[in-house]
Amino acid sequence: MIFKFRSISKVLILRSGENLYVRCGNAVVRRFSFVLNGKPVEVEVPPAYTLLETLRNVLHLTGTKDGCSDGDCGACTVLLDGRAVHSCLTLMAQVEGRSVTTVEGLLRDSSPDEVQSAYAESGAVQCGYCTPGLIMATKALLMSNPRPSVEEIKEALRGNLCRCTGYAKILEAVLRVRR
Amino acid sequence: MLLYDIDVITPSSLDEALEILSSRKGRVKVVAGGTDLIIQMKDGIIPRMDLLNIYGLDELRYIKLDDNDVIRIGALTSFSEIAGSEIIRRYAKILAEAASTVGSIQIMNKASIGGNIVNASPAADSLPPLYALDAIVKVASSRGFREVPIESFYRGYKKLDLAEDELVCEVRLRAMSDDEDGVFLKHGLRLGDAIAVVNAAIWVKRDNRSGLFSDARVALGAVAPTVVRARRCEQLIINRRLDDDSMWSAARAVLESISPIDDVRGSAEYRREMSVNLVYMGLWELTHRSG
Repeated sequence: MIFKFRSISKVLILRSGENLYVRCGNAVVRRFSFVLNGKPVEVEVPPAYTLLETLRNVLHLTGTKDGCSDGDCGACTVLLDGRAVHSCLTLMAQVEGRSVTTVEGLLRDSSPDEVQSAYAESGAVQCGYCTPGLIMATKALLMSNPRPSVEEIKEALRGNLCRCTGYAKILEAVLRVRR
Repeated sequence: MLLYDIDVITPSSLDEALEILSSRKGRVKVVAGGTDLIIQMKDGIIPRMDLLNIYGLDELRYIKLDDNDVIRIGALTSFSEIAGSEIIRRYAKILAEAASTVGSIQIMNKASIGGNIVNASPAADSLPPLYALDAIVKVASSRGFREVPIESFYRGYKKLDLAEDELVCEVRLRAMSDDEDGVFLKHGLRLGDAIAVVNAAIWVKRDNRSGLFSDARVALGAVAPTVVRARRCEQLIINRRLDDDSMWSAARAVLESISPIDDVRGSAEYRREMSVNLVYMGLWELTHRSG
């Protein structure tokens, strides 16, 4: 199935008013293929559409959050070819042919994976908005360094802002899942 | 502002990218990692135009140390790769230190050294080390290659010695030898992911017999329209016995080379003060390391 930009034009109009509708009219739409959470997908979107917009508005995978849209908060963190990146600063043209993992992709047979469970068990969530980004940054860390020190954890998560928890429980969650 | 009306052209090789740049001179903007460009374009800071997406050109991702002690870094090499590279950590450690402070892990994974060079922010963290290490920028176009010393690559605020059909493809450094040392210093408003209020890199060559610095380069960022070399400061540390007083004098001499402005991250006065303090801290560090 190909996911089309057209199918969400109503959402876009609702979100940003009439100006945007004019832009949609001018939009160049291209087809991009990539691997999403282990499965090949194709989308038809403007090439400068961001990965974040595509995930949320076209593929309706709303686990990835739109915090600042500016690469400051880390809420939109996904894995691109296994490395943590901001999906808000990644153009679809940069995703072509690559592999993307979102927080939804961590589920195994509908069950949360160990990082997701650790965050839940440690109570490392409050409003929850930063949580998917933090979980993906944690996942990237543990993939490259299965036994990080406290300092290494803080380094790896420094780009993910949480305004609720004070980070103590987040650190606890990562320590819980550390091998 | 959203980017739905912008087309993105994705070449499959450097040659193809150069052809497109040559045929669409000035009507296409190169995007590498895009971590700053996408924000600038969304915010209307730079003109909206079609993008030439070179992010997939893996031929520009490499770090090599050749037989002549020259380090070559491909323009698309990410700051994660630079910060983690054994070659850079051993032979250009001030660049490795700068690379690891560029931004969050997410930024470091995507942002490239070529992007940092061409984006030409006066606060770019990779630039003071490149100035201090006397880097050479290699520029490609369909007409051929050209090499430019980093200092003459910048002609003013965001003004580059780079034609519309040219692309930065590599940056080259001389590997530091055992008698050379250096530090990178950054003062940002938070540790995690902040643009520098002032940043600096100091490179020195030690004379093992006298224990003095026989050569030195001091470069500061975010305190002038481009990164600047503090040449008066350098003169005051070369072949001088450095005690606390003379280090403060040398550090204060950076004021002759900088022209900071007030902005959201700090006042000009604050930047002047921090420039002196950072350079003093760097000199203290270098003189207290075993030579």
